[in-house]
Amino acid sequence: MRVVIAEDDALLREGLALLLSGEGFEVAAAVPDPDAFMKAVAEHQPDVAVVDVRMPPTHTDEGIRAAVEARRLHPKLAVLVLSAYVEQAFATELLAGGANGIGYLLKERVGRVGEFMSALERVAAGGTAIDPEVVGQLFTRRDGPLDRLTSRELEVLAAMAEGLGNAAIAERLVVTEGAVHKHIRSIFAKLDLSPADRVDRRVAAVLHYLDA
Amino acid sequence: MMRNAVEALDRLAGGLGTAVLALAIMACWLIAGTAALFWVGLPLLPAVLSMTRAVADMERSRLSRWGEPVLSPYQTAIEHLSWQEALRAARRDPATWRDLRWLGLHATSGLGLGLLGIAFPIMAVRDLTFPLWYGMLPETETTSTLYLPIDSWTGVAGTALIGLAWPLLALTIGPGMATLQALPGRRLLAPHPSVDLSHRIAELTATRAGALQAHAAELRRIERSLHDGAQNRLVAVVVLVAAARRALDRDPATAGPALDRAQDAAETALSELRGVVRGILPPILQDRGLAGALTALASDCPVPCKVSVGELGVLPLSVETTAYFTVAEALTNVAKHSGAAHARVALRRRGRTLRVEIEDDGRGGAAERDGSGLTGIRRRVAAHDGVLTLTSPDGGPTRIEVELACVS
Repeated sequence: MRVVIAEDDALLREGLALLLSGEGFEVAAAVPDPDAFMKAVAEHQPDVAVVDVRMPPTHTDEGIRAAVEARRLHPKLAVLVLSAYVEQAFATELLAGGANGIGYLLKERVGRVGEFMSALERVAAGGTAIDPEVVGQLFTRRDGPLDRLTSRELEVLAAMAEGLGNAAIAERLVVTEGAVHKHIRSIFAKLDLSPADRVDRRVAAVLHYLDA
Repeated sequence: MMRNAVEALDRLAGGLGTAVLALAIMACWLIAGTAALFWVGLPLLPAVLSMTRAVADMERSRLSRWGEPVLSPYQTAIEHLSWQEALRAARRDPATWRDLRWLGLHATSGLGLGLLGIAFPIMAVRDLTFPLWYGMLPETETTSTLYLPIDSWTGVAGTALIGLAWPLLALTIGPGMATLQALPGRRLLAPHPSVDLSHRIAELTATRAGALQAHAAELRRIERSLHDGAQNRLVAVVVLVAAARRALDRDPATAGPALDRAQDAAETALSELRGVVRGILPPILQDRGLAGALTALASDCPVPCKVSVGELGVLPLSVETTAYFTVAEALTNVAKHSGAAHARVALRRRGRTLRVEIEDDGRGGAAERDGSGLTGIRRRVAAHDGVLTLTSPDGGPTRIEVELACVS
């Protein structure tokens, strides 16, 4: 799988390239700023891009804007955005054009290589990976309808919002897929959401609901 | 007691200086005023007015050094107005009339008291040493101070005894005279009680906004250096350690380089954290006090720098910190831009004012741009009711003076 890395911090860029190539990715380019990133994407047509939020010149949200722009130009490109801190507004902005092939994770998640790789692969395959921290922020801001959910259902909802599929949810919660399926139906009913089959639609629906 | 007397004489002498100037300006008023009667003198008046304000401001800062600060009361600056507008603005400003009353009093009674004040030490020296040189006097000079006849030994000894009286006078009534001399200035040069508060409130609002802005900029800087510096370094450590661990599983020989880099990254993170902490509150201030901290700053400065610190007493921490960052910023600029061969840092405390001076012998021409470090320092200083003055003519030298009020 071909990947392009955009990260302004040299050490981290090198570390990411080292890690990803060690895991069998082909690192087509590792660049330090948004302009070089746009060129690298056009040139290498990677399957997935890993992008830091803060990059020159202003070190604010260049990465988000570069990711949105790259996806506008290359709709098939999957993008995983890494950030030193998570801001739910950034997630909303990223997901505005659809949740398929989008990831938004805290930088240090990279250290949990197994989980990070599965998130990256999920995103590359058109799925979604939202950082648990973002989901947590959305949960703390809500009350009301969420009170109607059981604690198990809340766990399932959080996992859904992160972009996990049924099998992965079942694995995380150590239950059967059938049980997960049942929980999800119950959640959608309680929250008045129309059931969605595709995971990315489901993430979008859940996040949209939480963000509303 | 002795110190009080010396201080009183110092104050009286300083007052004499402004009193002489006041007298000169009175003369200017007389000339310009007479000319104004025939209209031709009218455009001269704003110039005399500016001079009056300048001397009044000198007196204000002089008085502020010796006690309660005397604030500037003017409602409008007249420097950039046409002469008609300047006259109109000055006529409306009650401070103008108070200035003039002060000018009259200070040029007369202030002058007299000042002269008397400096006469004490001169007379003391004259009379005490009288026995040594009276023999050289011409025959016609037969009386001394207080018209004591000096035709006899007792007369000479008596004069020397009078010499002892002068220091005694300086000790007893000197301080009172100094206070009396300062009285018109304290009464008339400070803003009128009714305008004082509104002025002060406007000033406080402005400096508070400045302080908050400086504070916010400071927080932003800290957040930046934590997120983009130390945190990035730590993430790199995490990523590199993860890579090393995966490499260990595959081929242990390949893990070494990743671990080496992880260690480098961790060490960089530590040194960046130290930098951030130093930027918030330098630990050295606590450990060595302001004088020690400034000496350390100076020895870090690539330009040779001499530090002289007077008796400072106990300073509030916020004043110490502001003084420290002022010097730090100034020395950074000296090292970066001045091309100087020497720099000098001086700190003195006078009453409630801490005075910080930084000077270099570089090429000068320093300007304060918006967003420069100096602007942040200026806001910080203003929050302490202080003033920062930058003088840097082309060709040098560059000089930064800061006065901070030491009230916690």
